[in-house]
Amino acid sequence: MGVRVTTGRTLLAAVMGFGVALSAQAAEYPAIGKLPQLKINNAKAELGKRLFFDKRLSGDAAVSCATCHVPDKGYASKEAISPGYPGNGHFRNASSLINVAHKKVWNWDGRIGTNLNDMTREMLTEDYTMNMDMRIMQERMKQDPVYVQMFKDAGYGEPSNGSVRKAIPEYMKTLTSANSPFDKGKMSTSAKNGMKLFKGKAGCIQCHNGPLLTDQKAHNTGVPENFDVFLDPMNHQAFIAFTMFQGIPNYMNLKRDPGYFNITLLDEDMGKFVTPSLRELKYSAPYMHNGMIKTLADVVNFYNQGGGKDSNKSDLLKPLKLSGKEKKDLVAFLEALSGNKLTSDKHVWKQPYPAEYEAIANWTEVPN
Amino acid sequence: MRMKKLTLTLVAAAVAALFAGCQATAAKQESATAPAKMSATKMAMKTAGPAPLAPLGKAPIPPDNKLTPEKVELGKLLFFDPRVGGDASTGCSTCHEPEQGWAWAEDFSRGYPGTVHWRNSQSIINSAYFPRQFWAGSASSNEKQAKSAAKGGVAGNGEDDIMEARLALIPEYRKRFKEVFGTEWPIIDDVWHAISAFERTMNTTGEHEVPLDKYLKGDKSALNEEQVRGMALFNGKAGCINCHNGELTTDLDFHNIGVPPNKRWEEDGLAQITFRFEQYAKGQTEKGYRAAKSDWGFYYRSKNKWDKGKFRTAPLRYIAYTAPYMHNGVFYTLEEVVDFYNRGGVDEEGRTTLFPKNKSPLIKPLGLTDQDKEDLVAFLEAFSGPEIMMEKPEQPPYAPLFNMAELKAAQEAK
Repeated sequence: MGVRVTTGRTLLAAVMGFGVALSAQAAEYPAIGKLPQLKINNAKAELGKRLFFDKRLSGDAAVSCATCHVPDKGYASKEAISPGYPGNGHFRNASSLINVAHKKVWNWDGRIGTNLNDMTREMLTEDYTMNMDMRIMQERMKQDPVYVQMFKDAGYGEPSNGSVRKAIPEYMKTLTSANSPFDKGKMSTSAKNGMKLFKGKAGCIQCHNGPLLTDQKAHNTGVPENFDVFLDPMNHQAFIAFTMFQGIPNYMNLKRDPGYFNITLLDEDMGKFVTPSLRELKYSAPYMHNGMIKTLADVVNFYNQGGGKDSNKSDLLKPLKLSGKEKKDLVAFLEALSGNKLTSDKHVWKQPYPAEYEAIANWTEVPN
Repeated sequence: MRMKKLTLTLVAAAVAALFAGCQATAAKQESATAPAKMSATKMAMKTAGPAPLAPLGKAPIPPDNKLTPEKVELGKLLFFDPRVGGDASTGCSTCHEPEQGWAWAEDFSRGYPGTVHWRNSQSIINSAYFPRQFWAGSASSNEKQAKSAAKGGVAGNGEDDIMEARLALIPEYRKRFKEVFGTEWPIIDDVWHAISAFERTMNTTGEHEVPLDKYLKGDKSALNEEQVRGMALFNGKAGCINCHNGELTTDLDFHNIGVPPNKRWEEDGLAQITFRFEQYAKGQTEKGYRAAKSDWGFYYRSKNKWDKGKFRTAPLRYIAYTAPYMHNGVFYTLEEVVDFYNRGGVDEEGRTTLFPKNKSPLIKPLGLTDQDKEDLVAFLEAFSGPEIMMEKPEQPPYAPLFNMAELKAAQEAK
């Protein structure tokens, strides 16, 4: 502690009026703040946008990425449990895609830690998400003259599944928080008080830190199971298929989401989920990996009581003893982390898609 | 008549003798010279003539998938259950519809939603008898065919894990799989076994026997005069017997008979998508992918250029119910088929295979008269008996695996 008091950051914090002990705690964590700018290739992003909203990217052409990642809901699913592919359900809440390009690890259980190209492949091909044979997808793209032109303009040559997996991540880069009161430095007094609590008494900063407000690590906070995962056979079959495919032992009898256990198969990791970003929460309710908490006030209450019940629960969670006003301030701060809705033409492909595939003229004469 | 029967017996004996002889000769040739392109069987056929048509016997049952009434019943449920597929809309019976000859009455099979297939759906009737399934013989058993169709992107588009998970949540299936296969939970491989067991009972035998087989067994009233004349043409002038022979009405071999490409590929965007996808799916080279403008058939398996456009000789029983015909369904009536052969493997617009070099030398203009053609069609109709119909079983319902009390207890124990 003594050493830390002498750091520049702590001194600055002290000047700003924080208690020395509290700012020392905050200083242990990467600072919250603005996200870095990403360089975007417009032609590629524009192609990615059209792909993102195109139902022809799923096996039976009935769902698009936007079916679960709804623009009006912060690109998350509005249902506690995502709808999933037709004839199936799902077992988790689709995370917000806003700022997804800034992450280093994806999925609630963190099973993808490479890049958004892999993440795109996973979502396109998994049988309970989009169930797409990408060889068919590629040929569908080649059959649409608009895509043929857009792939060419983007420098990809002819449409290919490899380029789809590049263009969608490029579009993801455009889904970045814009104009939040927090980023603009224009927070209400209540929100400012909330930020102090966030970094101090409430201890949120311990996991929600850095520009994304997440440590991108897995923790068990004791969120109760969503029984709809097991009581609705559509959801349960997706859960079984997932746990079977991932090699989780005893998957037929599992009555809980194993979370990060999926990666390590260590009992201590049972029920851990990757800390979500706190940006754009205003739009992305319900919350938690299984949508079990409906409002931000309820989220604050949940942590105020020290999280849920789980023998693996993180030691970081303890009852917080927040007053009613403190809870309101904390919610105000969380809301101040949300910017403009990304629902205009700039982010959403609003032009219609062709109802049918046009035949290629002179088919017998031109090479495939 | 009696004379004819005696002649047939003599021919059969001669075939057997020659077959043994040729096998030895062929083996000698193979060791001495370049690899023979013609198998011993084909040599024998060439020398001695094709095996005569014979009545359909009992379906062979593989020793590793014995039939039991319970397994057949389970297989029937699964055959009609669309949950054995990707989005729970497309099961076996979707493209093998009882009312459409246990096939699909369009040129291309209907395919998975959002797609169309690229070949004609073949009837499952009598499929038990064939050592290989699909038009190019790519599956070596009913079990493998079922699996391949349930998983293919333009067919069932199902994944093993999701299909297995679905069945586990249907109590009726859990009970039946346990009874039949002895497993705690349904196993996806057993699904293909049960479906195949059901299919092996779907034959033109017993009450569904076809007139031709009755005739071949001695009931001379089973065919009318026209059909008897047609049979003579079939065995003689029209040369059908060259490939459509023996008990199975097929030599089980692959031939290019001159079927032209389906024009739908020129006109239908959805069909063009599948056409190109199949080039990938069947392992084409990039050069082949760019160049292909028709189904290369057996080539996809052998990768020999002389196999382009070859398909397995189709069996002829039950064909009255399975129109349209050919691997790509270009002919909708048996009359059209006969006309096609009569022109020497050319359609009414003069179109033929894109691989004329590979066209079987057996396919030549036949010089059939109108009366001949009518007789031949009449005889072809004798390959079908009563339509095989079946009431579709009700789908057993899903039920949650755990109840609320169990889930709450698990939650408490966390």
